Amino acid sequence: MSSVVSPIRQPLVTGGKTYHQITEDICSPTERMPGTLWFIAFAASIALLGVFAFSVFWTVYYGIGSWNLNRTIGWSWDITNFVWWVGIGHAGTLISAILLLFRQKWRTGVNRAAEAMTIFAVICAGQYPLLHVGRIWLVFFIFPYPNTRGPLWVNFNSPLLWDVFAISTYLTVSLLFWYTGLVPDFATIRDRAKGIRKRIYNGLSFGWTGSAKHWQRWEALSLILAGLSTPLVLSVHTIVSFDFATSVIPGWHTTIFPPYFVAGAVFSGFAMVQTLMIITRKVLKLEDYITLEHMESMNKVILVTGTIVGVAYLTELFIAWYSGYVYEQFAFYNRVLGPFYWSYIGMMTCNVLSPQIFWWKKMRRNVFVTFVMSLFVNVGMWFERFVIIATTLARDYIPSSWSYYTPTWVEIGLFVGTIGLFFTLFLLFTRVAPVVAIAEVKSILKSSGDQYSHGSQGAENEKEAVN
Amino acid sequence: MKNNNKEVWIGHNDINSPELQEIAKQEFANTVPVVDSMADEKVMESSTNRRDFLKYLGFGLGAATVAASCEIPVKRAIPYVVKPDEIVPGVASYYASSFVRGGDFSSILVKTREGRPIKIEGNSLSPVSHGGTSARAQAAVLDLYNVNRISKPSMPWAELDQEIMKALASSKNIRLVGNTNMSPTAKKAMGEFLAAYPAAKAVNYDAVSASGILEANDASFGMATIPSYHFDKADFIISFGADFLGTWISSEEFQYGYVKNRKVDPKAETPTMSHHTQIESYMSLTGSNADNRIMVRPSEQGSAIKAFYNALKGSSMGSDLNEKARTALEKLAAKVKASSGKVLVVSGSNNVAEQVVVNAINEMLGSYGSTITFDRASNQRQGIDKNILDLVAEMKSGKVDAMIVMDANPAYDLPEASDFAAAMSKVKTSVFMSSVPNETGALCNYTAPTPHFLEAWGDVEPKKGMFSIVQPTISPLFDTRQGEESLLVWASSANLDQTSDQPYYEYLKANWESTMFPMQNNFMSFQSFWDKTLHDGVFTAKASEPAINMVADVNAYLNKISKPGQGEEIVLFETIAMGAGEYADNPWLQELPDPVSRTTWGNYFGIPVSWEGGNSMVTYKDLNQGEYKGNADIVEVSANGIAQNITCIASFGLATDTFSAALGAGRSVVGFAGKNVGTNSMSWLTRDKDGNVQYFNALDAEPKKTDLVDTEFPCVQYHHTFGITGQEDGKEINVDEKTLMTIGEGFQGGLTDRSIIYQANLSEVNDLKAKIAKKRDFAKHLNDATLYPYEEYNEKYYSQGHHWGMAIDLNACLGCGACQVACVAENNVPVVGKEEVSRHHEMTWLRIDRYFFGDHENPNTVYQPMMCQHCDNAPCENVCPVGATNHSSEGLNQMTYNRCIGTRYCANNCPFKVRRLNWYDYTTADLFGGNEVSVNGEEIPFGADNLTRMVLNPDVTVRSRGVIEKCSFCVQRIQEGKLTAKKEGRALREGDVKPACQTACVTGAITFGDFNNEDGALAKALDSELNYLVLEETNVQSSVHYSAKIVNRDEAIS
Repeated sequence: MSSVVSPIRQPLVTGGKTYHQITEDICSPTERMPGTLWFIAFAASIALLGVFAFSVFWTVYYGIGSWNLNRTIGWSWDITNFVWWVGIGHAGTLISAILLLFRQKWRTGVNRAAEAMTIFAVICAGQYPLLHVGRIWLVFFIFPYPNTRGPLWVNFNSPLLWDVFAISTYLTVSLLFWYTGLVPDFATIRDRAKGIRKRIYNGLSFGWTGSAKHWQRWEALSLILAGLSTPLVLSVHTIVSFDFATSVIPGWHTTIFPPYFVAGAVFSGFAMVQTLMIITRKVLKLEDYITLEHMESMNKVILVTGTIVGVAYLTELFIAWYSGYVYEQFAFYNRVLGPFYWSYIGMMTCNVLSPQIFWWKKMRRNVFVTFVMSLFVNVGMWFERFVIIATTLARDYIPSSWSYYTPTWVEIGLFVGTIGLFFTLFLLFTRVAPVVAIAEVKSILKSSGDQYSHGSQGAENEKEAVN
Repeated sequence: MKNNNKEVWIGHNDINSPELQEIAKQEFANTVPVVDSMADEKVMESSTNRRDFLKYLGFGLGAATVAASCEIPVKRAIPYVVKPDEIVPGVASYYASSFVRGGDFSSILVKTREGRPIKIEGNSLSPVSHGGTSARAQAAVLDLYNVNRISKPSMPWAELDQEIMKALASSKNIRLVGNTNMSPTAKKAMGEFLAAYPAAKAVNYDAVSASGILEANDASFGMATIPSYHFDKADFIISFGADFLGTWISSEEFQYGYVKNRKVDPKAETPTMSHHTQIESYMSLTGSNADNRIMVRPSEQGSAIKAFYNALKGSSMGSDLNEKARTALEKLAAKVKASSGKVLVVSGSNNVAEQVVVNAINEMLGSYGSTITFDRASNQRQGIDKNILDLVAEMKSGKVDAMIVMDANPAYDLPEASDFAAAMSKVKTSVFMSSVPNETGALCNYTAPTPHFLEAWGDVEPKKGMFSIVQPTISPLFDTRQGEESLLVWASSANLDQTSDQPYYEYLKANWESTMFPMQNNFMSFQSFWDKTLHDGVFTAKASEPAINMVADVNAYLNKISKPGQGEEIVLFETIAMGAGEYADNPWLQELPDPVSRTTWGNYFGIPVSWEGGNSMVTYKDLNQGEYKGNADIVEVSANGIAQNITCIASFGLATDTFSAALGAGRSVVGFAGKNVGTNSMSWLTRDKDGNVQYFNALDAEPKKTDLVDTEFPCVQYHHTFGITGQEDGKEINVDEKTLMTIGEGFQGGLTDRSIIYQANLSEVNDLKAKIAKKRDFAKHLNDATLYPYEEYNEKYYSQGHHWGMAIDLNACLGCGACQVACVAENNVPVVGKEEVSRHHEMTWLRIDRYFFGDHENPNTVYQPMMCQHCDNAPCENVCPVGATNHSSEGLNQMTYNRCIGTRYCANNCPFKVRRLNWYDYTTADLFGGNEVSVNGEEIPFGADNLTRMVLNPDVTVRSRGVIEKCSFCVQRIQEGKLTAKKEGRALREGDVKPACQTACVTGAITFGDFNNEDGALAKALDSELNYLVLEETNVQSSVHYSAKIVNRDEAIS
């Protein structure tokens, strides 16, 4: 990867880091006691996880009746949250797979955390399809396993079944990819560790010795997994969108959903990466590895995907009008001007209007603006799913059955609870694994480290660092 | 449920053994042989050593452990040693009987399984109810298994009889208080009682009474009876506030007649139908079915009748009626004047003067002898209001010292209920005869519980010479005795053989032998006549038309009609479900939505709703603006000086300054289902000068808005309308489409262009046919664009064997809700309670959607029964991940409850929204108890006890929580019909299979059948250009066809 890099490009590793410094900087959080900030964050996350556990208990014990769904609105916060979390996961895969294939060097600073985020987000997402069913104790019916009932098979026509395959494949491949990347880094930690830690990391690193053969195979495996993941970036959310697109409900039954969902997923995923990275780099003092350059690159992706999503929203409206089909027309009229108009406004503002701020470079490189925007985008994307799911169901074909929806505390608890689950996992991750891929950052140091790519300025930095 | 004696019977001889009888009386036997032997000193010397002791201890411990660790299953089986002839396990038996409660009547067939009545069907042999059943009749079977029934008399029967007879013998004034009694034999028994106690007098009243008609007919013709109304013979039906399709006198009979002339022949060049005008103050079920509604304030009802009379007469007397109504009535009079003998005018008024004028109107229009006859005079309302008023006065003065209350509830349902209750303390001896507790019963000294009508013998004569039998279908569940029998016992009647097994049965039979048997000449022996009557359930004797002379001086009565009142008024009405509160303890009826307001569980205060050009409907004082989100406001309403809080509902069709509220709510002493549900509006009733109860009153003050909001607003349909129009900027716009959106014009056409409801005026039927044809062609064009060869599938799979389908005539559907209750009873559909309905968790498989259309100030209504459409290209089937719902080769959309995991994807993807999830454990079938829903604060969740569970249909699975359910086209009945045909070695015939909704419907709005039967009733029903499929363009290939709604609206009137 150490090909020639234009000096015009901004350096991706600043501070004139040496290889050893990189190891020190990135490994150290796993080796020392975490700070107060971490403990506070962890306590908060665990508390939210407790809310999650309690809400799960309530849902399972008392039944889905403890949610405010009804005969008309069969899905609302549950599937909204599912789609939202799955979407968030997409950035990790995009960064690790597609950007790897495109040889984007800036991915190295964020790919590890983004991949971890993918896995945790998919774990969070996976809770909802399980929890939303009426009889969770029979949920194994959705797996095609040999049985004595005929055998009785699952219904391969059902998009919900496709979801099962898509999500489980996605989780498996993401997990493999993430772990593969971790192997050499775990070996680095092992080499610095003593006692029981050494034994554990030795096991986790599969006896990595750093031989040329190991590196060669590791590179090859990474590329293969990248090749496998690439279609997943597109297929997973496409299949999630099929839940809606293949139905007969006006507002769901649209062919635009697959690309629109994928763009939205990448959009929200990058926003979540931004949220996490801005905090992580600050708390773990990794500003030299996750630089403004990284943030700017991601903000560009957010701007592009946000605009794609915006075009999709407008296309939907146009197609509804152009279709001449009264149900479709009404569904979109109702989205914009019906009783849930506020969620449409929320969606449009957060997803389409606010990202336009990133046309300005100054804004793209402003940490605070980026952080606020990343939250905006995630709120907006949540609204988008709510608009698609709840608003559409609330007023569909037969007016007599139209209804309204507000969540119960159990549904809110489940949503807030998965955020707790997510952050608990992420905070643990920051303690036990390097949040930046050490090996990969090292691989670009010679080409994108400031002391190499930016001569004198970089050399000064190096001097400072040594002093 | 009888005495559960645990003694071991060795043989029937033991029953007379004095020793055993002695032992049986004692709870603890005093001779315990073991104790005796243990006390014996020899025990001490016995050879049981330590080792034996340990052995026994070890064995005992082991055995106890083994025994305790096994859950011993509770076994319930039918221990037939000798199988009774009439019971075949798994095969239903039907018995002809009658549903009677006060003046409510249906001739019925009772379906019993293994000796349990589980379903009520209509008896098509009845000339009164014509095979139809009301929602009330359908729900009556649940009352049999009501856990709140009175299970035993206040003391053992023998003692009770003694005490009561002693008390009666010393009483100077005995009063028998009851509602309408239609039973000739019961009347005979009562006659014997009255003869035995000369101090006794019977007082009959009806909570919702027709006293005004009875007295008016007495004044007009010298006959205090209600005549027969022939709605089928009338070309013009004019009703002054009579809810004859809903609750007035004999609704099934009237529905049956009414619809005959309302169904439109689609083949006719110029189709015809009767014209129905309703003059009323609130939108009743009847008014909603009318072609034209003329709105008058409740106190203007008399003036309206007067104005119509004057218009017919051509006299130009001044009128105090509102201008709009007066002109409309004048036009109506001009329209009907020439159609002598083809007009029927009825009035629900309970004022004598008004009813006399109505009689005069009918006389003028030549109705007597054609649309109104007296040959089959009705016995369905007999109560005279002022009698009960006199009784209350007598009670207050302390004159009455003994009272027997027979199934009535004057302490609740009289306008002066509180006076009555207070005066009860002055009555020394009071006996309560009923099967369920009520407010009056709580004030009585003695309780003599009566059986439910499904456990009792009896007869009914709802109309002169038209008899119907009541026969028991199960032996009494509780220690009860029929009221008639009690009266005869107390009268020490010589005609009652008290030693007989069923004394009242013998008495009834004897009465039939002496009274009814001579009325016929088809049978020579009484036994064969009796057998035939029991089999048919009905017997009709000959009757002749009496001579009719109008004797009353109409002018005198015209002057008696009072002037309209000023200020705000409330109209109080009876609903199809609750009656005057006597049905309040039936959860099925509580959960039956009111057809017009679509509310369940309680009564609501109707506030006017109008539109003044904005993006929302304007309601009275801006109340209930959040109704579409399920938020309803509570107001304080005061009439008769009694202020109460009541929840509002925005209602179309209310006259100016008029509010409405249903009767029969807010009961305090009643089974759990009715307890404190709604607001007691009985106390707002008033009486006119003649003492007749008036079902409206002036409000003391404006309804006052409170800060309270009803968090449980159990309305199943927030959305009101389907094409209500109004004027904006000089052009007609769809008001509803505008008000659906928060800003702007709304999406004009967004509702009306949907293929859900098609309706037109009679004069535009041909345009409608063209419209339907065009829309269906367009749908076909869209559907033909599919890649899938549905035609081929149809050819291949559905053209052979059966292909089930249904046709629903929207013109015949009046919205009465009988089918909905029938469906609940047939399919074990759970009751969920008020809170759950308010969260739109109702479980009904069949619902009746109600839409308004036409001018927003005075709209017309269409009722659309909606159930699973059994789509042949069902969107629900392909989305289920586990394949729990699939299609049968006969075109049925099937649910496999065992396989369902409850993803609700099918429910989301159902365009008709007919799929229902068991959100909680509504059937109390779940493993863990915490998720059972309390229907109305009851201790044991409704349905968790074995008594209530007896009503379950054993042919239909009870669904557990987390499972989706929906209409199955009564697949159990299809299966039964097929098996019967197979057993009899023949092809399935038309009529072998009828779903529960179809059998309940008296108007024939629902036709079920086989698409492949080309000569069947279904094929005939489908052969119409007015037929359409709901949402045909979605290509779901549904199997339920609808026939468009036609109204005969005359724009000049109203």
